[in-house]
Amino acid sequence: MTPADELFSRQAQWQRSRRSLSWPEKIREAERLRPSLEAFRQMRVERRVATDLQECRPPARSSEDD
Amino acid sequence: MKDVAALLNAMRDAGVIADYALFGAAAQMRYTETVATLDADVLVAVPAPDRLDVLTPIYDFCRARGYEAEGEAVRVGAWPVQFLPVFDELTNAALAAAESVDFEGEPFRVVDAVHLAVIALATGRPKDFTRILALLDAGAVTREQVEAVAARHGLIDAWGRFQRRFCDDAG
Repeated sequence: MTPADELFSRQAQWQRSRRSLSWPEKIREAERLRPSLEAFRQMRVERRVATDLQECRPPARSSEDD
Repeated sequence: MKDVAALLNAMRDAGVIADYALFGAAAQMRYTETVATLDADVLVAVPAPDRLDVLTPIYDFCRARGYEAEGEAVRVGAWPVQFLPVFDELTNAALAAAESVDFEGEPFRVVDAVHLAVIALATGRPKDFTRILALLDAGAVTREQVEAVAARHGLIDAWGRFQRRFCDDAG
């Protein structure tokens, strides 16, 4: 098993172990995750807006245009 | 989430809704590990489903208790709650089969695993397919159980496509 396989295997095992938490505990975990998720979504929206703006911008003039 | 349960129970006791059941990611977490989600989705049966403003009595009830609308949801503590009136045989069946679960001392009606999976199959977005796989992986449902309910609701072709795409032994 490569180090990466081992890492993925340990990660999957840890993730499965989280199933044994009670439902209210998992809900509280989800509540703690929310600010990160909201920040991530906001970042995605801002990046999309920035890309859209870039695509609307007229091409920069090069010295050959003069 | 306990406040959400208490609000929904009060709403049902007051006759604003006939029944409710939590579904989506928050319900999935009964069976699987925690998943990131921004809102709580609730199926509701209303006494007068033919009204055009079917959600207005629900929003009025929430507002009277200090829970304000926020976009398409109502903010209850940490959770934006989205109300979805039952709209077909599948969602009616999911509501009828919902289980009453204790949530920190408050009874909470929740859609069961097999109906969660079949609603996800009907919705058919990538994150819904992930939900089905998570429920199968957790042993919360078997493929036979999903197939039986999918067949009852005209989703046997969708189930076949799902299996061919995601289940190694389905060809």
